[in-house]
Amino acid sequence: MSDLTYVGKNIPKVDAKEKVTGQAIYAGDLQFPDTLFGKIVRCWEHAHAKVTHLDLSEAAKVPGVVKVLGPKDVTQKLYNCGVLDLLASEEVGHMLGEIEDQRIFTDYVRHQGDAICGIIAETQEIAEAAAAKVIVKYEPLPVYLQPEESAKPDAIQFDARKPGNKAFQLPEQMFPNNVYGWGDVDAEMAKAELIIENTFQLPKVKQCQIEPHAYVALFDQRGRLSIWTSTQMPKLVQNKLARLFEMPLSKLNLIPTTIGGGFGGKLGMIFEPETCAMALAVPGRHVKVQSLREEDWVASESRHPGKYWLKIGFLKDGTPVAADALFTADTGAYFTHATGVPFTTGAWLIGMYKYGAVRYKTNAYYTNKAPSGAFRGYGNPQTNFVLEQTVDQACRQLGIDPVEWRKRWHKQVGDDGWCLGIPYASSSLTECLERGAAKIGWAEKRAKYANQSGPKRRGVGVSVMNHTSGAMPMLLEHTVAKVKMNEDGSAVINVACSDVGAGSHTALTQIAAETLGIPMEDIYIDNNMDSAGFDVGSHASRTAYVGGGAVMKACEDVNRQLIERASTRLGIPVDQLEIKNRQVVSKDGKASMSVKEICNVGVSNYINPANGERNGVPGQIQGYASHFPSHNSPPFGACFAEVEIDIETGQTKVVEMVIAHDIGRAIHPPSVHGQLAGGAQQALGMTLTEEIRYDEKGLIQNNSFFDYKLFGPLDMPKLTTILVENPDPGAPYGLKSVGEAGTVNPVGAVANAVSHALGIMFTEAPITPERILKAVNERGIK
Amino acid sequence: MSSHMSSRGLPEFELLIPRTSPEAMDMLAQHRDQLSILNGGTALWNYVRGRNRVTPYVLSLSALKGLDYINEIPGDGLRIGAKATIAQLIEHPAVSAKYAALHESGYWFGNPTVRNMATVMGNVLRASPSADCSCALLALGCQVILQNKSGQRAVDIDDFWLSYDVTARKPDELAVEIRIPEPKATTRSAFQRLTRVRQDLAKLNVAVRLEMDKGVCQQARIAIGCVGPTTMRVKKTEALLQGKAINDSLLEQLATSVRGEISPIDDQRSTALYRQQVAGVIVKRTISRAAADKGATQ
Amino acid sequence: MKTRSITLCVNGRDYTFEVPHNRTLLQALRDDLKLTDTKYGCGSGECGGCTVLINGKDNINSCLTLAAEMEGKHITTVGGLTKNGQLHPIQQAFVELGAIQCGFCTPGMVMKTASLLAHNPNPSEDDIRRGLEGNICRCTGYENIIRAVQKASQMINASATQCAGGACS
Repeated sequence: MSDLTYVGKNIPKVDAKEKVTGQAIYAGDLQFPDTLFGKIVRCWEHAHAKVTHLDLSEAAKVPGVVKVLGPKDVTQKLYNCGVLDLLASEEVGHMLGEIEDQRIFTDYVRHQGDAICGIIAETQEIAEAAAAKVIVKYEPLPVYLQPEESAKPDAIQFDARKPGNKAFQLPEQMFPNNVYGWGDVDAEMAKAELIIENTFQLPKVKQCQIEPHAYVALFDQRGRLSIWTSTQMPKLVQNKLARLFEMPLSKLNLIPTTIGGGFGGKLGMIFEPETCAMALAVPGRHVKVQSLREEDWVASESRHPGKYWLKIGFLKDGTPVAADALFTADTGAYFTHATGVPFTTGAWLIGMYKYGAVRYKTNAYYTNKAPSGAFRGYGNPQTNFVLEQTVDQACRQLGIDPVEWRKRWHKQVGDDGWCLGIPYASSSLTECLERGAAKIGWAEKRAKYANQSGPKRRGVGVSVMNHTSGAMPMLLEHTVAKVKMNEDGSAVINVACSDVGAGSHTALTQIAAETLGIPMEDIYIDNNMDSAGFDVGSHASRTAYVGGGAVMKACEDVNRQLIERASTRLGIPVDQLEIKNRQVVSKDGKASMSVKEICNVGVSNYINPANGERNGVPGQIQGYASHFPSHNSPPFGACFAEVEIDIETGQTKVVEMVIAHDIGRAIHPPSVHGQLAGGAQQALGMTLTEEIRYDEKGLIQNNSFFDYKLFGPLDMPKLTTILVENPDPGAPYGLKSVGEAGTVNPVGAVANAVSHALGIMFTEAPITPERILKAVNERGIK
Repeated sequence: MSSHMSSRGLPEFELLIPRTSPEAMDMLAQHRDQLSILNGGTALWNYVRGRNRVTPYVLSLSALKGLDYINEIPGDGLRIGAKATIAQLIEHPAVSAKYAALHESGYWFGNPTVRNMATVMGNVLRASPSADCSCALLALGCQVILQNKSGQRAVDIDDFWLSYDVTARKPDELAVEIRIPEPKATTRSAFQRLTRVRQDLAKLNVAVRLEMDKGVCQQARIAIGCVGPTTMRVKKTEALLQGKAINDSLLEQLATSVRGEISPIDDQRSTALYRQQVAGVIVKRTISRAAADKGATQ
Repeated sequence: MKTRSITLCVNGRDYTFEVPHNRTLLQALRDDLKLTDTKYGCGSGECGGCTVLINGKDNINSCLTLAAEMEGKHITTVGGLTKNGQLHPIQQAFVELGAIQCGFCTPGMVMKTASLLAHNPNPSEDDIRRGLEGNICRCTGYENIIRAVQKASQMINASATQCAGGACS
């Protein structure tokens, strides 16, 4: 056990009480006097069409309608709701081919749910009634739902800058031959004694955060544009909005609200542009925009679907001589994350195993589906489905135990991680595999389920993963933290870091309490964006790691100042002083000064009228850090799943799951367990039930919880989470990330358990009873 | 689900909340097909939201007294009032003791919240082929009592669903009660459904009622949902059971027969092919379980 | 649009106000009474974010209930479980067991738990899972919620003073 007081402790989260009493304010809960309601009018009947006629006159006549806004009534500037352009230099952005291609309101529909116009009215009901009176005529265009269709030479071009509707490939300047990898794949592959080659079909999956997107915006008389939003990335969205509406950041007031789940669904801008455009049209009045659940599906981003071809060559002893991969990604109707996810989907492949050589290529194409974007794991769940099943297929054919193979071939300390050139500084994956295997009874179950008969078949599967803590060095990683010491010795930490629900504000408070040596109750996390310095926002599982690093450094800066002041006052050199239990004490224990006194004297710095002397060192103490992490401390993990399949109905029950995670150090263990269990719920959905489906017109068929099925309490398996804690040398308190990682490993583990039960590998997710029964019948399994 | 522009609020209508049955009959007589009946709300409001339109009038049963009963009448059977909820159904001791298929259909129905709101009658009136309690009721056999200003009539459940979303209820009638005949000591029944996740509408549901005599089935009713426009009986398959001892080879015959009697379609919950393949399996299993008198709610 | 005057008893307090006939209870709570502790998550009764208690015991989806039909009923929302700033045992258990992540499903989960425990003070784990069906959580995988419900059941059973449903007498 560690000697830490706050870090690693099982304490209630800092925001739990306000949430459990219903007092936490989400954007939709905001109440302002004189609020107007905005309704975004979307195209529901087409996925690809030109607007030939837009008549807002009847809508404008509805009593209570204040304003109607068509495409020409708002800024004509294009934007990209993603944020990668703010996280890489302009040169890199140019090389990657980042483009802006979205409009607030459009006259050219590229996917169902594209925004056509906006209504601003005195009530929500009036806005909705008026929206129904908007007359739009469309000229339908051919609908492309797969990259193979939009890539055809005669297909309508989505963007002149992207010929052939190819939004992205790895750029030659950064990736010679458009390849990410190492070694001579062709030469190495020629040595292979077993080749496993498959094309996997990956589903389009939705974040399904339970809070639908909602906003309030106000353009005030002082010329400030305020936007209340539950974005995951307050600073980047503030920057994006300032750029879109051509305002200095000092006039763009972003007020973050409690976030009702994000999972990437609130990464970058979502409907902030439309909301701000409406507020700008009615100066002096708040405008509230609340999206509907069904709107979320059609109009916001979801996980990149696509085809993932993977070929791995092995020697008979299991040596993976070469891996060759091509991910054909469907970026959807707009550019959005066309660069990021297609790149990382290969990066996780690269970071996992010690292949002799590896070659990853990717092409991303436009289609008329909802734009693809960030969803927890950022390409890693896709990779896990593909890579881990490929490994298991090889193990089966080679007669090698899948756990043993992974222990032998996973990357270790000193090997390059997902970003070549950044070696792993820590890894506890072998321990994760061993502890997980023992917990689920791997060896016994593998043997027991080897030969089964009857309608119910059991299988047990394993999967491993690597992930990241923040996105450096590919993307900017930076958090500014300021720690203001109040005159009573309590502290306010001003950061732009958001808490998507994962517990990052709790973790940051623990880190501050630990570093400052004051109780958590005496620390408050302030999220005021006017005063907060820069922060990238919640993505890439970075907040505890990068934000935590910034907070730790800023707290150390406070400690340095406290010691300096005490040194001056006590006449003891700084190296003889330390902070203990809210006191600055001399190491010999003879002299001390309370932190409270130093802070108080710094503020209430009186001059003694008798002698004109001050009663101590003047100046309120503030700690500051502008923190750029030097590493990305990737976590690893191993997952074990047991399934039972009814071969007469194809129904799969996930019986048990064991998730072992290489956390470095768990700052707040209940949150880490919660992230793994919650991630499993999402991963199980992607593997077994969840997929956005389109009809031939490109209209979403299941934009509701009726037909997009999430795992409920009875569907979840018995779940054990194991935290393997070996602190990472380069991380604050040794922590490594967990958030995104949760969604990754159960994907491959369940898929492998299904193959173990049936002897059939499924290349298409989700693995539904319909697909299973079809395969069982085709193979004649009885 | 919605391919129209959706809205947060419900479309406009005039809400009628009669306090007495005669008042309700008058309203029904007056507004006829311009009126929808609101009972638990779980089906109606989603139906309305899915289409973004509603009849000009909505008649709420909320203030009508005395319709939320489930009564067992010895020697006669079970009477379920129009407002009795699924939650009441599964808590009723006679239902779990004697009407296994109905109890099981309620047990698997929706979720606790929906079971508190949704009514057995509402499930029948929705005339959806995926309705779970309806499936059990068709297997058990029952009558739906319809009342208008001039009196009551009873419609056999076999004649009640005319097609998808269409019932034998006339616009001026209120469905007031479901009457299920009392089972014999040798009557066995069971229900089973398949879903995507636990909380879901059925992609296939099956209910059976068997009249057993020393291991021989004297008579059978088999109801299947999600394989046609309404929940349906497979009468040829039922006939195969008559006078037979239930064994593996008979069950195989039944499974084959069922496949020939149904005409499922592809929808969001499953495919026609899958339903064809599993209908026989679920029928077999449900019959076996009913014959063995084993519950399926634990 | 026609309106009706209704009186709702919410968290022990009577509110008399006009509602349009098509007003759902959820809209009435959130938009008319400004009681925003009950959440809109889907509007179709599938997510459970809008779960409230009727007459201290039965949970319903307020998004599928007309406000006008609730005349005279006692409605409890999550805010109504807290008495004089004191957390209800269910709330306390959710806080202690890390059952809250983003918190958006929490009000509905807590009310669902209140109903579950009011009907079954000693639920098994399976009873709890079955009892929470209909309320979707995308954050926790339900694990910590289930532990919290177990703890809440113990806390309530150990205390003579507080009933599960809590608020309306």
